[in-house]
Amino acid sequence: MADASISLKQKLWNPEARLAYLLLLPAVVVLLTFMFYPIVYVFLMAFYKTNKLSQMVAFVGLQNFISEMAEPEFWEITGRSMLWTVLAVVTKTLFGMTIALILNVKYTGRKIARMLFIIPWASAVPISSMLWRWVYHPVYGLLNHTLKVTGLWATPPTWLGYPIPAFTACIWVDIWIGIPFMALVFLAGMQAISEDLYESASLDGVNWWQKFFFITLPGIRHIVLIATLLSCLWTFNDFNTIYILTMGGPAGATDILITRIYQNAFKWLRFDRAAVMAFVTFLILTGLSIIYSRVYFKEERS
Amino acid sequence: MKWRNRGKLPAVIITIALLLFLLFPFFVMISTMLKSSTEVYSSPPTWIPERLHLSNFITVWSEFELYVFFRSSIIIAVGATVFNTILTVPAAYAVARLRFVGRKFILYLFLVIQMFSPVIVIISLFKIMVGLNLLDTYFSLIIANSVFTIAFTIWMMNGYFKSIPVEIEEAALIDGCSRVQTITRIMIPIAVPGLVTAMIYTFIYAWNEFLFGLTFIQSRPKMPLVLALYNFVGRWSTQWELLATAAFLAIIPVLVLFYVIERRLVAGLAGGAVKE
Repeated sequence: MADASISLKQKLWNPEARLAYLLLLPAVVVLLTFMFYPIVYVFLMAFYKTNKLSQMVAFVGLQNFISEMAEPEFWEITGRSMLWTVLAVVTKTLFGMTIALILNVKYTGRKIARMLFIIPWASAVPISSMLWRWVYHPVYGLLNHTLKVTGLWATPPTWLGYPIPAFTACIWVDIWIGIPFMALVFLAGMQAISEDLYESASLDGVNWWQKFFFITLPGIRHIVLIATLLSCLWTFNDFNTIYILTMGGPAGATDILITRIYQNAFKWLRFDRAAVMAFVTFLILTGLSIIYSRVYFKEERS
Repeated sequence: MKWRNRGKLPAVIITIALLLFLLFPFFVMISTMLKSSTEVYSSPPTWIPERLHLSNFITVWSEFELYVFFRSSIIIAVGATVFNTILTVPAAYAVARLRFVGRKFILYLFLVIQMFSPVIVIISLFKIMVGLNLLDTYFSLIIANSVFTIAFTIWMMNGYFKSIPVEIEEAALIDGCSRVQTITRIMIPIAVPGLVTAMIYTFIYAWNEFLFGLTFIQSRPKMPLVLALYNFVGRWSTQWELLATAAFLAIIPVLVLFYVIERRLVAGLAGGAVKE
């Protein structure tokens, strides 16, 4: 017993461990103050009635949750957040895969093409969203003009003015920002696959699709998993695009959880409702985040 | 290689088509910033400016005082980078090199919180900033930006420190260097590429950040570029040629920096699955 306690103390409090704690201390203190404490505080707030100054007035238990769950709008927004994430991530994956496959063909100029494909990711998201607002402009915007002149769409909609076009417009901007990351990661994965596999397959008379499905896809399976998980997190979290393009409008048609939290808090001063939504969002994001971390760690070890 | 050669021309054609499609907003930006106000507001609009109009650059710089917001953004981004680095380097060294109970757990925790959404904590952060009397200061943004980048930068630096052979450090310790000396004289100089990546990452994050600025900053001269541009859209929504010009100028610095770290960033995010 005595031995065990000594070794435990030594494990926790030897010179090396002490140095480690000391080096970690500043970062941990800052994270505790500005990340963990705020989270705990928001969780607490979800169980209180709040006033317009965001003060917690009275403990109400689960009442905030019950009344929020009773709102059809809450489910509408949660559902839309899911739809938003799934649609966007699937589209990003498809575009990313296409671009990666193309850039994996060794033609001259592909390095330049790669650099150009990155721009939407490299550019500042809020600024890109503002630019898109101008692109979508119903009268002077070049998107509708181009659609009309090229005959692709004779009567394009007022993009940000009506629910479905606005949702489409917002999700497209999110997709557009997310494509380059997918393409780069997939490409990195494809380039790690041995050339020999393709060459011996060619000798056996295997066609392009068969190579894709039996060599390329299995070869990048893990990378696709990690990239899509990461993309789910980013997409679910995408505040900037929606807030800047439509502020959740028209009539809440483009609101997802993350934008509604902000509006509940800083526009309508309903801090308790914002806190409940933040709680729900936190659970979803943490779940996704843990899955991502597990896959990441598994890859690190192998 | 034969099958690749056969596939070349279609690949080039698809590349060009996709690039035209995906870079359209930037084409619009460049076209708009080179137009006069009258041409911007003519219907039907034009793709290419009829006459090159460069005075928008002078207008955004002198009348809109873009340099004020550039200065704010530089102060905030540099401040966040410095603060982040001070916190990150020792912490990353500890998790990469020292043995202590809970090391694995801490590393795992950093990876999970890397994804935390600022929106979830924005109410509490706002209250904290009010409490610390930091509302409407650069410092509020410096803190917020470094806090939300720290988990990722620790992870990146951890990877770099781990890739340095232990023997180098042991040799230095035997030669009479202290731990701190091995960190400052040996580990950090070797890990410079990683350190630069982490620093650029934080700089870009702070430069592009919108939510914290929107919530914490009220007075105009303190606004970072991104926020100033956003208010610009609201206030003079009729002057898109100026917004396009300002957007162009605001994007260039981060675009250049992004190309420096892009490969290491992808490797850091995708983990062991991707080699640099």
